[in-house]
Amino acid sequence: MHAVIPYVIAALLFGLGVYGVLRRRNAILVLMAVELMLNAVNLILVAADATVKNTLTGVQPEAWAHPVPEPRAGAVFALFVIVLAAAEVGVGLAIVLQYYRLRRAVVLDEVALHAHDHETDHETETERVAG
Amino acid sequence: MTVADALLLALGLIAVGSGALVVTSAQLVRAGFYLVVSLGAVAGLYLVMGAELVAWVQVLVYVGAVVVLLLFAVMLTRAPIGPSRDLDRSALPAAVIGAGVGLGLAALLADSFRWTRFELPPTGSAQRVGAQVFGAWVLPFEVLSILLLAALVGAIVLSRPDLGARPDPEAAAVPVGPPHDPVDESAEVVARLDRIAARQADAQARVRQAHADKVAAENRAAAATVVEADPEDEVDPLRQQAHDIIFGAQRARPKVGEMAPESGTTPARDQDVIEGESYLVDDSKMLPGRPALPGPEKQEEE
Repeated sequence: MHAVIPYVIAALLFGLGVYGVLRRRNAILVLMAVELMLNAVNLILVAADATVKNTLTGVQPEAWAHPVPEPRAGAVFALFVIVLAAAEVGVGLAIVLQYYRLRRAVVLDEVALHAHDHETDHETETERVAG
Repeated sequence: MTVADALLLALGLIAVGSGALVVTSAQLVRAGFYLVVSLGAVAGLYLVMGAELVAWVQVLVYVGAVVVLLLFAVMLTRAPIGPSRDLDRSALPAAVIGAGVGLGLAALLADSFRWTRFELPPTGSAQRVGAQVFGAWVLPFEVLSILLLAALVGAIVLSRPDLGARPDPEAAAVPVGPPHDPVDESAEVVARLDRIAARQADAQARVRQAHADKVAAENRAAAATVVEADPEDEVDPLRQQAHDIIFGAQRARPKVGEMAPESGTTPARDQDVIEGESYLVDDSKMLPGRPALPGPEKQEEE
């Protein structure tokens, strides 16, 4: 197996994720692009585990770690990243849905970061409805 | 170029192609389904590289849960079916940065690995991964379980507006007054009561006017009959005498408010007079302490 193939695939997927995060205005599509980036990172981890770590010989395992004959730390990291992504998408979608319930919008450009009091929020709301 | 290389290239093409469709599709639901294809292809890459456990966890968690969650969010935010135009910003800066990151990383990795060939690890690594998770990485595993619990609680708190809701500052600014008075004396209620009273007064006036008109009409009719009957009465003095006898008692009876006659005879009554005696009562005597009415006592003394 040539290691460069999964690495390049992962790099291209990460680039697509960056493009999606920067391009999209819909919050759900931004979350999808973030998922793409996390998958690229997972792919890098698994590929490194399968190629580099697999060929390392004579390297002592971590002193504090439980010594195992064939370490698969990359796969473990990938599992942890999947769990993190699940938690991220759960909380992120809860935030998106709550914001949609409040403002009837999922467009990230119109999120008022500085308008805290109700009057300004109401004004922007009416402006958006009118415009 | 081995079979593994061919598989990696094919799956990688599918993953990158559907990933590109995810970030460029104009339809939200289609983007979600292209994401399913892309993540499934990545799971296939994991399988080829000998990480079955990661591959199946990817299928379970990502394709089975995360994408379904994203599609639920698409549904709950009432995304339009069909292409929507306002999904994207201007493409140029995002394309420049994304292409720079992707191609730069690809060039870096390609330059660092060249065309080096590695031996694939033996398959069946799930047991080793399990030993690792519960051996060397048990502390991060437990921390991750706590993080998942925190994310669960956070998502529930965010989704329920009644949990942890701060009081409305406008509502807090209104001073808490005395308990609500059951008699509402606000302006609109008073105005409505005034309108009702005016309407009732109008109705009463109309009814009184109609009654007065009717009474006047009857009086006119009665006067006409009296005028017709008058010539007969004038020529009959006996009848006049009988009239005097009958109605003299009526005229002689005490009026309302007069003292009872001294003679002690029962006064003449007719059905128009309210049953019972009425006496002239001195108000100045009545006011302090409400003394008993003087009339009946006098009568008993006599």
